Amino acid sequence: MTTPALAGSSSPHVDPAIFSSLQTKIDQEQAIRDELRTHVEALSKQGRLTQSILSRIHNTPTDELEASVLAPCYDALLEQTKTVKELAQSASQYPFYKWNSIWQRDIQAVISSLQLCDWLKDGNLLTLEEVGQRLDVPVNLKSEDAFHITVEDYLLALTSTIEELARLAPNAVTLGDYARPLQISKFVKDVHAGFQLLNLKNDILRRRADGVKYSVKKVEDVVYDLSLRGLIPKTPATE
Amino acid sequence: MAGTKRSHDGMKIDRPSASSEQTSPFIPVFEFFRSELDEHHDRRERIIKVSRDVTAQSKKIIFALQRARELGRPIHASISKQITPMHSTIRDLLQSIVPDLQGINACRYYGNITGGIQEFMEAVLFQHYLATQRVMSFDEAAAQLPEGLVLTYEDYVLGLFDMTGELMRFAITYMATNGQLPGSETGSSSTILTDMQLLRSELERLDASGSYSLSRDFSQKLRTTRTSIEKVENGVYSMIVRGKERPKGWRPDVSLTDAPREADQVDSY
Repeated sequence: MTTPALAGSSSPHVDPAIFSSLQTKIDQEQAIRDELRTHVEALSKQGRLTQSILSRIHNTPTDELEASVLAPCYDALLEQTKTVKELAQSASQYPFYKWNSIWQRDIQAVISSLQLCDWLKDGNLLTLEEVGQRLDVPVNLKSEDAFHITVEDYLLALTSTIEELARLAPNAVTLGDYARPLQISKFVKDVHAGFQLLNLKNDILRRRADGVKYSVKKVEDVVYDLSLRGLIPKTPATE
Repeated sequence: MAGTKRSHDGMKIDRPSASSEQTSPFIPVFEFFRSELDEHHDRRERIIKVSRDVTAQSKKIIFALQRARELGRPIHASISKQITPMHSTIRDLLQSIVPDLQGINACRYYGNITGGIQEFMEAVLFQHYLATQRVMSFDEAAAQLPEGLVLTYEDYVLGLFDMTGELMRFAITYMATNGQLPGSETGSSSTILTDMQLLRSELERLDASGSYSLSRDFSQKLRTTRTSIEKVENGVYSMIVRGKERPKGWRPDVSLTDAPREADQVDSY
């Protein structure tokens, strides 16, 4: 290690400039965090509205779902989409993985809301690419360093969606829709089969994916109760 | 887009089977997710391994440097003969993960490499201080990493904190063997102690709250640094007061530090 001994200013050995430039770097980071937080807080606030609308699925009869829950929910999601776009523009100026923990939770909530709405509407699982199209942001970027939706975000959101559907299964029965639990059961099992393919490490995704099997069981129990009592509709209304 | 399909440990993929009444339509898309996650975990593990190895090598360098008996002169040949291969090992290790830490991945895996980089910084900063009696600047330190690896100021600062512990150990040993403070024989007004005190006050002045990763460790590290500097202060005090009558095998008394528990923590970093 050869370094020319530079003549220092006030102290020859400990250059104060080292520390003033460090402080500058820390302060810059604080400024970036503040900027991003503004967007995330807006997104979070809108997210609470979306969630409160979506929670009405548990006490809304299936035939009223479209008009009284899904339509207003898509409107709320449209507002969130605008905020995501703003966040994306702001965040893309900075290294994605340095900051993504700030918005991860709220972005996952948006994805989950989209997945849930779409499944309730037509029984399809929104793909990662479709999530990206809806939010108008890229997905799964691997070389370009910009804002995007990650595979982990998508999968974590999916575990929340599954949980919400498992809650819906008994509630749908309460509302008189005996076909819903069967649809949910098929979907949850299919997703569970998917999660079983993943080689998970000991992280958040593993814990959440492990939770999926409890959802499978919960929905199974409902279906079992119904079939035991001959309450399952004769023509399975799947998809 | 899905990668090559591998049959991996014990998990047979029975796609066209009739074991369950129907196969999930999501299997292909999850196969894609699996290959993405596998790639991520493989890379992560490679980086963690390198980080551990770099940490181990850096600790060895620091150990060897503690045998130095001079301050402000080039590292003695016997020591530098020992540490040169370690430096090149570290270089090779870091070089091997440069491709894994490019672009968007630099920050993605930062948490997995930071431990190794911090320890390496400690070694580099310590070695530089021993050889020149100067604290290496951030830019100089950044140049010690292979091209393609970016030094974060967090790793630099945390390495700097840890280095003060090494300076303490060096100063105490030096006083025990030479009966004077390193740096004082040149007649210059600044000794290792004044340098440490200056470092302490500069570090104390930093407001780390703006950096998430820094503020997490900052107060703990600062406490340890304070303890280290007080140890040297007490050592110098006892050397001056009782220095004249010191018997053979005398060591500066550092027991004046109030909290022995904190003193132990110096070693644990």
